[in-house]
Amino acid sequence: MTQIVEVDRGPATADRRLATADRRLAIEEAAARVIADPANSRVAARLLAEEIADEAAAHGVRSFSESVAATHAAGLVQDSLAAFVAAHAAELDALVSDEADARFEYFGLRTVYDRYLLRHPETRAVLERPQHFFLRVACGLSSSVADAAELYGLMSTLSYLPSSPTLFNSGARRPQLSSCFLLDSPRDELEAIYDRYGQVARLSKYAGGIGISWTRVRSRGSLIRGTNGHSNGIVPWLRTLDSSVAAVNQGGRRKGAACVYLETWHADIEEFLELRDNTGEDARRTHNLNLANWVPDEFMRRVEADEPWSLFDPKDVPDLTDLHGAEFERAYRAYEAEGRFTRRIPARALYGRMMRTLAQTGNGWMTFKDAANRTSNQTARSENVIHLSNLCTEILEVTSDAETAVCNLGSVNLAAHLLDGTLDWARLRATVRTAVRFLDRTIDLGFYPTPEAGAANRRWRPIGLGVMGLADVFFALRLPFDSPEALELSTRVAEEIALSAYDTSADLAVERGRHPSYGDTRAAGGVLHPDHYAGAAASPRWDALRQKIATTGLRNSLMIAIAPTATIASIAGCYECIEPQVSNVFKRETLSGEFLQVNRYLVADLRARGLWTRRMRDDIKRADGSIHDIRDIPDDLKVLYRTAWELPQKALIDLAAARQPYVDQSQSLNLFMAAPTIGKLSSMYAYAWKRGLKTTYYLRSRPATRIAQTTVPAAAEPPAACSVENPEICEACQ
Amino acid sequence: MLLDPGMDLTLRPMRYPGFYERYRAAIRNTWTVEEVDLHSDLADLARMSPQERHLINRLVAFFATGDSIVANNLVLNLYQHVNAPEARLYLSRQLFEEAVHVQFYLTLLDTYLPDHDERVKAFAAIEHIPSIRDKAEFCFRWIDSVNGLRRLESAGERRRFLLNLICFAACIEGLFFYGAFAYVYWFRSRGLLGGLATGTNWVFRDESMHMEFAFSVVDTVRAEEPELFDDELGEQVTAMLEEAVAAELAFARDLCGDGMPGMHAEQMREYLEYVADQRLARLGLPTRYGTANPFAFMELQDVQELANFFERRVSAYQVAVEGNVSFDEIF
Repeated sequence: MTQIVEVDRGPATADRRLATADRRLAIEEAAARVIADPANSRVAARLLAEEIADEAAAHGVRSFSESVAATHAAGLVQDSLAAFVAAHAAELDALVSDEADARFEYFGLRTVYDRYLLRHPETRAVLERPQHFFLRVACGLSSSVADAAELYGLMSTLSYLPSSPTLFNSGARRPQLSSCFLLDSPRDELEAIYDRYGQVARLSKYAGGIGISWTRVRSRGSLIRGTNGHSNGIVPWLRTLDSSVAAVNQGGRRKGAACVYLETWHADIEEFLELRDNTGEDARRTHNLNLANWVPDEFMRRVEADEPWSLFDPKDVPDLTDLHGAEFERAYRAYEAEGRFTRRIPARALYGRMMRTLAQTGNGWMTFKDAANRTSNQTARSENVIHLSNLCTEILEVTSDAETAVCNLGSVNLAAHLLDGTLDWARLRATVRTAVRFLDRTIDLGFYPTPEAGAANRRWRPIGLGVMGLADVFFALRLPFDSPEALELSTRVAEEIALSAYDTSADLAVERGRHPSYGDTRAAGGVLHPDHYAGAAASPRWDALRQKIATTGLRNSLMIAIAPTATIASIAGCYECIEPQVSNVFKRETLSGEFLQVNRYLVADLRARGLWTRRMRDDIKRADGSIHDIRDIPDDLKVLYRTAWELPQKALIDLAAARQPYVDQSQSLNLFMAAPTIGKLSSMYAYAWKRGLKTTYYLRSRPATRIAQTTVPAAAEPPAACSVENPEICEACQ
Repeated sequence: MLLDPGMDLTLRPMRYPGFYERYRAAIRNTWTVEEVDLHSDLADLARMSPQERHLINRLVAFFATGDSIVANNLVLNLYQHVNAPEARLYLSRQLFEEAVHVQFYLTLLDTYLPDHDERVKAFAAIEHIPSIRDKAEFCFRWIDSVNGLRRLESAGERRRFLLNLICFAACIEGLFFYGAFAYVYWFRSRGLLGGLATGTNWVFRDESMHMEFAFSVVDTVRAEEPELFDDELGEQVTAMLEEAVAAELAFARDLCGDGMPGMHAEQMREYLEYVADQRLARLGLPTRYGTANPFAFMELQDVQELANFFERRVSAYQVAVEGNVSFDEIF
């Protein structure tokens, strides 16, 4: 049974307000019936597009130039943008393609409407349509109509989207365009710590996600010479950071968010791992901060060998956080031999504790210090050290007290590059070239909330080009996520993107100059990122590129980072970054409400086989979005449409490891385990480390209990009692 | 048998391991009120129409006392008569969860109603607001129905207890609360009151488990003493649900007034009838209404959540986790 919501438009003379109220209800109805038929998503989107157009028209906005005039009059955009648009009004207005709105799914358009379109400061009515918004973003990054048309063409086809801060702020009075900021640990002194709070607040205010290390700050019990007292360790400081981050509301759009990194040898590591627990003393908890472990190889080796691990007060070993690789190991062992440690514990006990935190909170991400530093283009000189990753664990850049690392991000929608049962490689390369040019431009156009951030970004000029919609590609090409063909395709995608990005950056170096610190990079010494991985640069294309770069240099020190794309993937209507689907039917919760999503590839397949019925929908819902145990579904579909919970996580790690040579920063790699145990987790993360991954992201698990479904007919439960005689039934009825 | 009078203390061999598993699963889903950010709701409240504001105030007044009533019945009746230590473990855990819910709704009330007198009035609603008072009286009547019942000796006494158990599971947790949650999710579907919805997700999860536990007690008793489940008991349960639907509908009329877009008392009636049918089906009784679910937004509650962590906390994590470090497990 198909249920597409029919929209009764009523007589043309109907009362205007009533019509609007009716349309809103029709939108909600259609949106709520997406699970019955995914086509309802487009129905709802179309109605919403009409609604938006009417709302903007009420403020006199019909064309693009009118929208920029209106937002400028309201004080929302830069004078220079308004002047540029006024000067080229006719040409720019002609670029706008209203049919492009038909590409939106409801959730995508709703997200654009709720959070991205510029609104009148008092009436809160939107002053631009979705296509105006895309073109405004493009114009904010362009100096000619041709440039704007090139980027707008990618955005309106949902082929490439810049990150949210760029979408929010391009052309705005304060164009903060960067997604991520990475701050080195404050120095171990009161003034430095309070100075960091201020920096974090300023960066957070303009919609940046924060990564910050706390490794340099002394541990609990350490002597404070000035007062002859003892330190309470890092927890009270992090409580203050927690409150400060929660207090900063990013322009009313989303709450501030930060991740704190701590190196595994810090003596407060165990208390750090408890910060997100929901039991224990609340005065030692931080409910808003995310937590990540910055793990040296030496620790993982000792875990494997079941050896002791020494914990240090950073005050006693101040240089340890600035060392990596062999130098770190030498220093660490020497400090151990000198007996400088605060405590020693079995490495496995601490590793087990880390795994427990992951299972209990999803937090305490495992990121690997030595893999991050060993292969980075920025760490050729020993004084340049990567001390942490960012909020989403895809950025790895050098930081110091004076340099806050910054990254500008954007992602290619792979799903939009499908053509006749394969990827359109030529178009993918072209998209990458455009994307890199515009990402590079954001570095110069962006507003930097702190001088430390501006200084670092202009010196290193890193960008982070990522992807989204990999799962769509696999579904469309009918490749199971763990198949060898998927591995090969995914790796080739990464390699093509890296080759095109590097090549474009080399061209840009000729046009606009190398980045100022180019001489300090490994590339200057003839080593490119894939060269660190055996066999990864075997293609002659890399030799050619290496030769070209030897003469041109590079405009950007780092280029590839695979961000989670949580919001922009929903705008584009594709699966997030490199992730498998979480469920064939799931709900998204965001600030603008809850939305149902259903796997439209699966629905098309089931419909083609005459299997998409009300009963089938209920069966899939009752099975929590899995089709594994549904009898009528053929096996080929069951294999293709497994969820992240059903796929072997080893396959996800293998895909990420194969891609890593072409990802010179890192990847936001979520791992999924419905019912985690310490044993499974410790095996999984040890494997991720061994495969050379630089970082991992959330561990996603599922609740141990669940709500009783209200909209699925109650299954006739067998009235048999649970008893000693038939324990299996107890499992079955949970 | 499960309802035999006494104080069984034997956990090995365990007669009803299913109850013990429910206890352990509940522990793994511990949440605390401190994890819910309610302050983000204040801006939404300020924007609401007087009608919506009336609905919320009434709802908060109901929440203020609802879980306390359930907790009282648990202590006074359920714990006393469900005679298996593993089942009492679950009930102890349930009691804790009811306490968390009471704390949650107290915090909600303190946050939503800044005025001291308003707060006092909300707690007094159970005496002064007819639609809330009637629901409470329904609950008290069923608590009183087993008052003074010290031992379940006769079939009649056991049936009286079963009616109390079914009332609290199917009518109070399974209908009154489900009705109340629907208002919250209606707001949520419009992007409003995200804090309340987050806490409600967790309360809803707990209540679902409480209801399922009670039903599995019913299943067990039915398997052990099928003769208790005669036609008359079925008729009594159906009548009790009809009465509960009527009480909740009166509450809905009070809350919705002339109705708001997407939320009318009439739709709520359909929803309540639909839910009541589900309870009857779960108890193996014929359905009574045959009404379809009118609230499309409730479908959203049935599927996995995928929260964007920038925006709120994910509510899916487990509290207890077991095992030892190893390197050769399959993942």
